[in-house]
Amino acid sequence: MDIADLATQSLNGLQFAMLLFLLAVGLSVVFGLMNFVNLAHGTLYMVGAFVGFSVATRTGSYWAALAAGPVAAALLGAAFYFLLLKRMQAAGPMKQVLVTFGLIFVGIDAVRWIWGEDSQSILAPTAFGESVQFLGLVYPSYRLFIIALGLAVALLLHLGLERTRLGAVVRAGVDDPVTAASLGINVDLAFFGVFCLGCALAGLGGVVAAPVLQVYPGMDVAILIPTLIVVVVGGPGRLSGAFWGALLIGMADTFGKVLIPDFSSFVIYAVMALVLLLRPSGLLAARHGS
Amino acid sequence: MIGDEDFRRHCVAAALLSAAILALVLSGYAGRDRLAEIAILAIFAMSLDVLVGFTGLVSLGHALFYGLGAYAMAAFATMLKLPAGLAIPLAVLVAALAAFLVGILAIRVRGVFFIMITLAFGQMGWAYFQRSRTFGGIGGISGIGQPDLDAIGLSLANPADMALIAVVAAALVYLALARVTASPFGRMLVAIHQNESRARALGLPVQSYKLAAFTLAGAVAGLAGVLAAERTNFVSPDLLVWTVSGEVLIMVIVGGLGTLVGPALGATIWVLLRDNLSALTPYWMLAMGLFFVAVVLFADEGLYGLTARIPWPKRRRPSDA
Repeated sequence: MDIADLATQSLNGLQFAMLLFLLAVGLSVVFGLMNFVNLAHGTLYMVGAFVGFSVATRTGSYWAALAAGPVAAALLGAAFYFLLLKRMQAAGPMKQVLVTFGLIFVGIDAVRWIWGEDSQSILAPTAFGESVQFLGLVYPSYRLFIIALGLAVALLLHLGLERTRLGAVVRAGVDDPVTAASLGINVDLAFFGVFCLGCALAGLGGVVAAPVLQVYPGMDVAILIPTLIVVVVGGPGRLSGAFWGALLIGMADTFGKVLIPDFSSFVIYAVMALVLLLRPSGLLAARHGS
Repeated sequence: MIGDEDFRRHCVAAALLSAAILALVLSGYAGRDRLAEIAILAIFAMSLDVLVGFTGLVSLGHALFYGLGAYAMAAFATMLKLPAGLAIPLAVLVAALAAFLVGILAIRVRGVFFIMITLAFGQMGWAYFQRSRTFGGIGGISGIGQPDLDAIGLSLANPADMALIAVVAAALVYLALARVTASPFGRMLVAIHQNESRARALGLPVQSYKLAAFTLAGAVAGLAGVLAAERTNFVSPDLLVWTVSGEVLIMVIVGGLGTLVGPALGATIWVLLRDNLSALTPYWMLAMGLFFVAVVLFADEGLYGLTARIPWPKRRRPSDA
């Protein structure tokens, strides 16, 4: 592997990491706020991708798809929140996890029903249709767009969380929901907002991934496990955890495929097992009430 | 003296066994094969119940031990040409040993992290068997061969005999696990489940008990794997993939946690629904998913919990006499 290969693979790793980040951040913060893992998070990613595909086919515009995917995912997430999650808050996290597990099956078959079995794709926008040359590398500009988008989302979320009033409410809710509520903060409303934002980001991830990866029923399960690994490795409930976890897993997966192709699917699981054994609550563990 | 709760459990188990025997006698070739599958999955689900229902350890990697039992059986039978009488206990031992080793690491973390680390180990096993040339890669191993049971007049190639053996095995596993979970050891597991800090404060070696439960569950899952390998005469990495662990978790929860007979009921419902729904519609997973969600939402203790609504006769206590 020479320097150019190394650089190319690093960019690939970074691009995958940014995709994982878009998914993991919602999952991670929802975990931190509500103390439950939404296994149907991948379903929202898949729905975002398929709605994006339909919009892109009708309008011919990638940018319309990029707007529609997150909106559809957020609306579906909101419906899911009111129909199921809110009613189940008293039932405890385990039941919520199980219900979302059942919804994975529902989601895949509903998508098969509406959009069919075939793999689809969304064309990259014309502005990012070709490869660019820089530093002696030839690299698809669309992948650079994904990297830039991921970094921009990370920066915006960081600023939003650290510098705004809403961010302070969310941080308070993650640290200690009971105290936050007793101080007059409407924790439920903050939770709902964050939940919808997380769903929207998953939908965004679906559209963003569509030109690179295929759009197909089952794409949700394919991304769910690496996303869960990112959340666990980074330590749930932390924006920075989702970011660094995504970077670690994105790179480990990409370089694993290059260096030990025979056992590449081994790598991310081994990384997670190692992290859990050395730091049982993730690399950047958040404090938990329980 | 058994309590009302145990009485109800054994009654439901007896009813399930009677239904199995009836199905064995009445059904044809496909039905008997399905019955064998149900009995094998029931063993698998009961083994997971020891972990999830009794000890409170939710594993999403239990298929690892199911698959290891199946692969060990296949390897012993085809590569080492061991007789079945030796291969079966050795294969169960392999699964138990693997569960012991994985358990040492896995029980160090808790809650959601335990779910994730068991998932990680399960998927590592899956990734290994997918790529391993020794064990046939994605294609797996076929032509495992069936043990010679002519001496007792049975043949595993015959679905009726396979189903009979699987049902008997499931009944024995139920009785054995019911005994284990009712023993002081089993009560300790429940104590850990209810309040781990309290159990520790009472001086219980919590980690050793968890490890023992994990190993026991792994061994029984290995036995289910051995039977699965015998039934299909074939093993492949599909036995270990994480969705298999997820499905067996569904069986346990739909049936009713911590009841043993519930998970067996869950396995029955799972196979029957899957086969009947998939014959009706290509979108059977949608119906299965909704059914599962409905059970989690509305049937608190799973389908077994519904049997509490049957007006069981009150058993007389010695003090009543």
